[in-house]
Amino acid sequence: MPIKVLAFAGSPRRHGNSETLLDWVLAAMGGEPDVSVEKIVLSEANIHMCNGCNACEKLNKCIQRDGMDVVHDKIIDADCIVLSSPIFCMGLAAQVKALVDRAQVFRSRKYVLKLPIVPPERRGKRLGVFLSTAGQTWNYVFDAAIPSVKCFYHVIDIRDTDIHYLMINGVDEKGAIERHPTAKSEAEMLGKDVVSELRKRLAA
Amino acid sequence: MAVTVLGISGSPHRHGNTETLLDKFLEGAHEAGAAVEKVVLRDLLYSPCRGCNACHKTGDCIIQDDAIGLYEKILAADCIAVASPIYTMGITAELKGFIDRGQYLWARKFILKTLYFTDEHIKRHKGIFVSTAGLGWDRVFDGAFPVITALFNSVGFEYYDNIIANDMDQFGGIRQHPTALSEAYEKGQKVARVLAHLRETT
Repeated sequence: MPIKVLAFAGSPRRHGNSETLLDWVLAAMGGEPDVSVEKIVLSEANIHMCNGCNACEKLNKCIQRDGMDVVHDKIIDADCIVLSSPIFCMGLAAQVKALVDRAQVFRSRKYVLKLPIVPPERRGKRLGVFLSTAGQTWNYVFDAAIPSVKCFYHVIDIRDTDIHYLMINGVDEKGAIERHPTAKSEAEMLGKDVVSELRKRLAA
Repeated sequence: MAVTVLGISGSPHRHGNTETLLDKFLEGAHEAGAAVEKVVLRDLLYSPCRGCNACHKTGDCIIQDDAIGLYEKILAADCIAVASPIYTMGITAELKGFIDRGQYLWARKFILKTLYFTDEHIKRHKGIFVSTAGLGWDRVFDGAFPVITALFNSVGFEYYDNIIANDMDQFGGIRQHPTALSEAYEKGQKVARVLAHLRETT
């Protein structure tokens, strides 16, 4: 059964640490048979910020016409959604927060309109992966980003327990992650593990 | 010269719960003699941080837009009240976009060492976080606090207080909340008086 992976490169800096980490995970996933991978670079995806207008609670869609039109459908179609963000000022990069906030349309669909996000037969068969890098070495540097990440996955029908995390601190300047002792092998292992878990779920 | 209080509204939704709470705080500060100004982020034009790290070398941001002017305003104020509703367990992308742009001040402080705030300066500059959330969870603001702390640290302000109210969806909006608006007003009065007193005791 083919597996569709949708990935968001959330850093405004191209090919920096968080995108490199993402590329390692995606290469491992894409190296497995029957896996298709699509990477969207958020700083080029034309996704505007949520207006907070709450129109989606009535319309079941966003009133803004932008890159989210395409991304919305891809989020529903994918079996695995990978989100990568550097930590800026103790949180997600603003570009990533914009995507996460625009998931409000899914929250309205789920909780206000009481409509399904994915067809019943696909529930519990989707996985999430959150990848992050931070310049600071504090072990709590990712803590403030995680509630928003969980919220994003929750509203797109990926359970808390189905989110995999790989977060690497202490990597600041471009390329620093290449010198990290375990990041690359952990990323490759994660990519393979997630694909094999997806295969099990989809076959069930 | 009067104590200056700058309110920054980070909600895309004009005159909603969070901005109303901010307005009450500013009203209280004004009543207590402060010179008050409110900036609405939606009215400004600024891009998010590009993560280019040019500021790590120069101490300046390569993007010269409204974000820089607002940082100058913050640095000139005695008190800032930074307001954002909670969206998906964090501050809005608008406010996060603005806060990320403060990287050049962080670079001045920690890389170039051209900017330093004394303890005395920090004591005389008070930062307040104003927020509302639809959900009633106790921990709904937890993702926002560290980001606000990072902002206040960058600009040399003491994280003085929170004016926060959750469970807006159940209350049917801030105006139906039993205490939030009066608390905001009182906190506005209080901080203006505390700062005025600190000035007199120089």
